[in-house]
Amino acid sequence: MKKKTARKRPAVNKVYYIYVGILATLFFVFHTIPFLRGVLYSFTDWKGYGDWNFVGLRNYLHMFSDADTGNAYLFTFKFAVIATILVNVISLILACALNAKIKFKNTIKAFYFLPYMLGSLIVGFIFNYIFANLIPQLGKSLGIQALSVNILGTNHAIWGIIAVAVWTGCAFNTLIYIAGLQSIDTDVYEAADLDGATGFRRFTKITFPLLAPSFTINMVLSAKGYLMVYDQIMAMTEGGPGTSTTSIAVLIYKKGFGGGQFAYQSANAVMLFIVVVLISVFQLRILEKREEKLG
Amino acid sequence: MKRRTANVKERYNWPVTILLIAGIVLIILLPLYMALMIAIKDPSDMNNILAFPTKLRLQNFVDAWNMTNFPRKFFNTAFITVINLIFTLITNSFAAYAITRNRKKSKFFSIMYYYFISAMFIPFQVIMLPLVVQANTFHLDNIYGITFLYIIFGLPMNTFLYTGAVKAIPEALDEAAMIDGANPIQTFSRIIFPVLKPTTATVAILSFMWTWNDFTMPLVLLSDESQQTLQLAQYVFKKQFSVDYNLAFASYLLVLAPVLIVYLFCQKWIMNGVVAGAVK
Amino acid sequence: MKNKKIISVLMVGALMAGMLTVTGCGGSSDGDSSAKGGKTELELFSSKAENKDVLQQLVDKFNETHEDVTIKITAPADAGTVLKTRMAKNDMPDIVMMGGDNNYTEVESAGMLVDLSDQDYISNIQDSYMQMVYDVNKDKEEKAYGVPYATNASGVIYNVDKFEELGLEIPKTWDEFIDVLDQIKDAGEQPLLMTYKDAWTSLCPWNSMAPDLQPEGFTDDRKEGKTTFVGTHEEIVEKYLTLLDYAQDDFMGLTYDDGNKAFANGDSVMIINGNWAINQYKSANADLNVNMFALPASNDESKNYVTSGVDVLLGVCKDSANEDMAKEFVSFMMEPENAQTYIDDQFAFSAIKGVEQNNETVAGVKEDIANGKVANFPDHYYPSGFDLSALISEMCLNYSNGMDNQENMDQFLKQCDEKYDIANVD
Repeated sequence: MKKKTARKRPAVNKVYYIYVGILATLFFVFHTIPFLRGVLYSFTDWKGYGDWNFVGLRNYLHMFSDADTGNAYLFTFKFAVIATILVNVISLILACALNAKIKFKNTIKAFYFLPYMLGSLIVGFIFNYIFANLIPQLGKSLGIQALSVNILGTNHAIWGIIAVAVWTGCAFNTLIYIAGLQSIDTDVYEAADLDGATGFRRFTKITFPLLAPSFTINMVLSAKGYLMVYDQIMAMTEGGPGTSTTSIAVLIYKKGFGGGQFAYQSANAVMLFIVVVLISVFQLRILEKREEKLG
Repeated sequence: MKRRTANVKERYNWPVTILLIAGIVLIILLPLYMALMIAIKDPSDMNNILAFPTKLRLQNFVDAWNMTNFPRKFFNTAFITVINLIFTLITNSFAAYAITRNRKKSKFFSIMYYYFISAMFIPFQVIMLPLVVQANTFHLDNIYGITFLYIIFGLPMNTFLYTGAVKAIPEALDEAAMIDGANPIQTFSRIIFPVLKPTTATVAILSFMWTWNDFTMPLVLLSDESQQTLQLAQYVFKKQFSVDYNLAFASYLLVLAPVLIVYLFCQKWIMNGVVAGAVK
Repeated sequence: MKNKKIISVLMVGALMAGMLTVTGCGGSSDGDSSAKGGKTELELFSSKAENKDVLQQLVDKFNETHEDVTIKITAPADAGTVLKTRMAKNDMPDIVMMGGDNNYTEVESAGMLVDLSDQDYISNIQDSYMQMVYDVNKDKEEKAYGVPYATNASGVIYNVDKFEELGLEIPKTWDEFIDVLDQIKDAGEQPLLMTYKDAWTSLCPWNSMAPDLQPEGFTDDRKEGKTTFVGTHEEIVEKYLTLLDYAQDDFMGLTYDDGNKAFANGDSVMIINGNWAINQYKSANADLNVNMFALPASNDESKNYVTSGVDVLLGVCKDSANEDMAKEFVSFMMEPENAQTYIDDQFAFSAIKGVEQNNETVAGVKEDIANGKVANFPDHYYPSGFDLSALISEMCLNYSNGMDNQENMDQFLKQCDEKYDIANVD
């Protein structure tokens, strides 16, 4: 059997087997086993220490009746959708502007990319201060009631977190869009000019369709990233006020370790995994279809 | 009509330029400017947050440096980042090469490819809880352990990035080298790795940013104070800091400074690097 | 040629390093509690950041007589969660200092702590506080897994100078309290400052009022499912919402630390918190003149207890490699002289007989505490998964959004029961 395969296919050097085998083993031990253990825990009542029993699907069923989990999913989806759209719209506009014939192009570009370099925890801390002190101070001196309170203490707290997500998130997306714009052949525009397509029409009819690959990359990466939002929230609201900004990731950490719900939150984590897979597969399907269309 | 367009193209678009510069000042730089102003002031000098200090106070930086044990935390973070970078580039690139080149020849590599790629969809939160339990068994709750984990956890994303690039290299290239008697490692290091440079740049930047700025994994793994990273230290000292914002911001700036310096000198390379791997 | 060799070597090195780590040579964390350069190192985990300075001072003093020992203090943010993460990792410190609350219950019931009942200092501890620790032990076992050290008082902290300026008297009943609040409001001053950006501070009024107003034995009955929040806590919620009328506009957005500074600078006349906050006020404004009184939630004066609980207890962890040294440190801390140092710095009270807090800033509650007119924090008895602060802060958010009080109350109490039941399974 082995020989037959070997004859049919060119021989593969043993080094490759050994090397990939070792890495795969390490990966299995430190990534896949924790994952499988997590799945296992999700069927138990383990607290993270001490004895445990199998409880079947209790944790999963509980999720559907638990308002905390439901709210965390609602918040996370709302956050992911708004942040993904905002980041991509703003990035697209920025990219078009940066692609125009502007002076100091490289310097300006470098400044807009700067937020990407800064860790979201510290950016969160800085904005925390802005929302708590700078903006209310401004609001009070201008006499604007809406601005004189800390937005993170209201039920608009989500917008404070979105602002930070947009501030840091636009950098990467803009860069990808610029690369996409630069790869568009200028001949296409000249042809469009001849056809009389200008301005916004030119953008929707020509530029945007040609940006499709960049658009898809950005959408997939943003959506995946924002579904797991964690750092910004820990830095700014720790999930409050109430539980109004508790994302799934924050809930898993806070309740999984702090609230004695290790097993239940393992089930929640497995659910998060399923959701991320479904959304990614869905997005990739659309991507494939579009590529087929273009091809 | 056409001539007019050509004319416009030659001139700078000043309104857009000015808008973009205004955006930089108001949106990008203002928060950082505010952070700097707070960091160099005395607590009693905070009536107008954005104003220059009446008296420059650099003591904040000294205090923050001592309080967080900055040199230690910097060393830890730099150790994790640099070692991870070196080993990621060497091990992950070769893994991607091995997988891509042999996928058609052996089912094993095909399975490995899908194995790694599918792991990309597992959010860290899913493995976080069990990983913490497991970390103790393997003594991974220190900077060496966490570096090792970063190298392993980077595999899916990096395999994904590198495979695309390896595919684009004609196989005739390695075959020629093999005929010359080179072994796979030699072939890879001599012929393939140099060609992969743009992707390597991307992987390097992404790995660097990930490990330098990561907060979740250190938070759950590194409890020993002497093992903590810069980012984690900022969170750990949150309570102590919040009494004195001037100290806190000085500390934040100390953490941001190394990245800003690296960016200042390598910004062009970094921006090109990020795009090179992502757009294909 | 050279390059290729270097890369090959590095690649092999990488694999070796990987394998070595796996096979468990990364023993650097093993050395934590064992001898380092001839010195024994112990880790003291403290769940309060506020006491780090005085702890360091005491640790230094301990080191003077124990030259071969170094004690390292760990006081992280969100300490409860961090400690439980470390429990899951089986990576416990040597000594813990934490509140006598449900976090302690979890550590204790996991069997992480050593029984200290046989130590000499136990007989020196005030019975009421020892009892509080027994009460939060698993199955109320009467063993000293935790030694009560410092105790606290939650209530109303007021600016003495402003009180004199406005000619106000210390209220003894709820009606008097409301009257005081109205007088302050009429005088154009801010009556109360609330710092609910940090959700835990929203528990302070609750903890001060609930013992006065909840039915006797509620916490036990609730645990056994014999009673509910609905039907017993309406008055508490109603009064809670009344207090919000006297808070500043941005009470949901102000942080504890900013609020402390604002209070220290005279931005409000009163604040509902605990003695632990006083050293924060003092560090923001050393000249501030404050005192405390128990929040009079009831019109029956005899029911207005001071809420006082075990703020800090000391425990020795079972897995400690230096259990004897850890025990020695605990008994060092329990020496009256050192206990005095601690409570003086923290404006706290001591669980040790004969160690008294004489600072004027808490004089208003001292007598009640000495007479035992105290009630423990009700939330120390709630199950740890029951996050009441999140529920209260949600109720307050609804309030600030203008929700009808009745609707808000009904919704809140219903939620309390639901969440309690979810958390009460074990």
